[in-house]
Amino acid sequence: MKKKYKYLIAIIISLLFILFIYNDHFLYKRSILKVDKIVEKVEDNESTKEKHITQTIYGTIKNGKDKGRKIKVINHTSTSGVYDEQVHNNSELFVEVKSGDTAIGITGVKRDKYIAVLLVIFFNSIIFVAGQKGFKTLLSLLVNIVISFLAIFMFQKHAGTWNMLLLYLFVSALFVTISLYITNGKSKKTLASVLSSIASFIVSFGLAFLIIKLYKKPIPYWTLEYIEAVHDYENFFYVTILLSGLGAIMDIAITISSSLNELIEKNPKITKHNLVKSGREICKDIIGTMNNVMLFTCFTSVIPMTFLLMKNGIVLGDALKMYSQVELIVVLTSCISIVLAIPISLYISTFILHSYKKKGDDK
Amino acid sequence: MITILSIILFTLLVLIGKSRGFKTFGIFYLNLFLILVYLFLISIGLNAILHAIIICIIVSATTLFGLNEVNLKTKSSFKAIMIVLIFIFVLTFFLGKYANIQGFSAESLEAIGGYSFDLNYDMTNVLIGMFLIMVIGTIIDTSISVSSALNEVYINNPYLNQKDLYKSGMNIGKDILSTTINTLYFALVAEFIGFFMWHYGSSFGYIINYKSFVVEISKLLLSFIASILIIPITSYITSKALIKDK
Repeated sequence: MKKKYKYLIAIIISLLFILFIYNDHFLYKRSILKVDKIVEKVEDNESTKEKHITQTIYGTIKNGKDKGRKIKVINHTSTSGVYDEQVHNNSELFVEVKSGDTAIGITGVKRDKYIAVLLVIFFNSIIFVAGQKGFKTLLSLLVNIVISFLAIFMFQKHAGTWNMLLLYLFVSALFVTISLYITNGKSKKTLASVLSSIASFIVSFGLAFLIIKLYKKPIPYWTLEYIEAVHDYENFFYVTILLSGLGAIMDIAITISSSLNELIEKNPKITKHNLVKSGREICKDIIGTMNNVMLFTCFTSVIPMTFLLMKNGIVLGDALKMYSQVELIVVLTSCISIVLAIPISLYISTFILHSYKKKGDDK
Repeated sequence: MITILSIILFTLLVLIGKSRGFKTFGIFYLNLFLILVYLFLISIGLNAILHAIIICIIVSATTLFGLNEVNLKTKSSFKAIMIVLIFIFVLTFFLGKYANIQGFSAESLEAIGGYSFDLNYDMTNVLIGMFLIMVIGTIIDTSISVSSALNEVYINNPYLNQKDLYKSGMNIGKDILSTTINTLYFALVAEFIGFFMWHYGSSFGYIINYKSFVVEISKLLLSFIASILIIPITSYITSKALIKDK
């Protein structure tokens, strides 16, 4: 019964939140136009069969000193929508207004409400499925997000003087320590998993770094998304490699250290040799499950760009070479680090948990 | 470079995982191949959503039944994956329809500038297809973990009823959940760091309505939602199947 009330409260809060975001126009300085009516003029491009649409949008300003004004704005769009937006009847647009009844132009679409809906679904499902543990997960996620932001701020403040790669090597160690301690509490098991994770990412990153440095041909890492934001292309590429596999490495480390801990607790007299032997069996079970997660999560981001290239008459092989090669390198290096994390975690966890056990025996 | 890395990955997988490592490597490249097949299919003009669903079904079938085998737990996982896929499809369908996040943002302008935008193909469908294929990896992984663990629980305690089985499935799921969310966060965090460095100094209101930010955050939240929802659905279907099988 009590649980039911909790869910009810969660759902009410969620609905109120969505309602608020749908009506948050007053928070914005930019003028927001609510669409009332759209008049479309369609033009066929004979050679490409693409339809080019000129939308004349009539709407009402929802905020600021112009609130309530009726405004007209022109929008050029197409059926493909590669680099343009097709405005719908319930769209809300950011517009630049001057005097008169025509806006200078559309500067953006109001999309915050869609993020709000997704966030609400995420929060509700995590609380419904995981309860209190869900809060811990959310907390560790939040801390990771805050650290990520702080790192970005620090880096931008010291732009040009700080080495991005060194900064993120340090930040990664911080990520690992804090999130593992939040989700698993303070114990020798956590200590073992933290040390295994750090050792794993240092070893595997060192390996990747070495291979790439030794490789003679240049890697087109400038095709990574957003890389132009950073002056140091090469180091941004290394940071991407470093971070992508980090979560999966932590997953491996915690799985191995908890199962070894279980083995020791079930049988306190177990020898180091037998512990490693049983550990190897566990390793066989967890190998490779995460590789596909990395592949699908990271590699799918190349789909729109590769599609555009292929539609422009470039064959698949060339499109991949031009654009997707770097993403694939990132995926492969993360997979290598995940696999390497298995033996590293096994030996470090065995060493730490077993020596702790001895100390316990002496008392 | 890719060949060198593949050889290293292959060697490590076989050294540590033996025959299972070998299989894993095969499935990994099969999945990569399937993504490329998908790109080819949509580039010749076929429907991006329909073919994304077909590719997802093939990927689930090969990973579940190929890496493991056809049995009660993989069959239950398969059903659960299909249900979550339908849910994610509905969610992304509305997102694609209303949020105007298809195509490219200003950051990509330099990269796409030289090409024709007249593709005569709705980029919204490509976006929805990308979302669907993106979540399939994580839901397969979580689902198989829950259903195999549940199977172990049942073998050790054959007298449990369906409600208790479902409950222990949820308990197992809770443990998997936090690490899965961590994995997904870090898999996508580099893109966020790039995004925020690009838009450093922009206001909060500007960023949360910005096209590529909404795409990135949708990727993250959709994979979170999919990997959470698969837990109760797999637990329910597997526990029901185990009891029925008795």
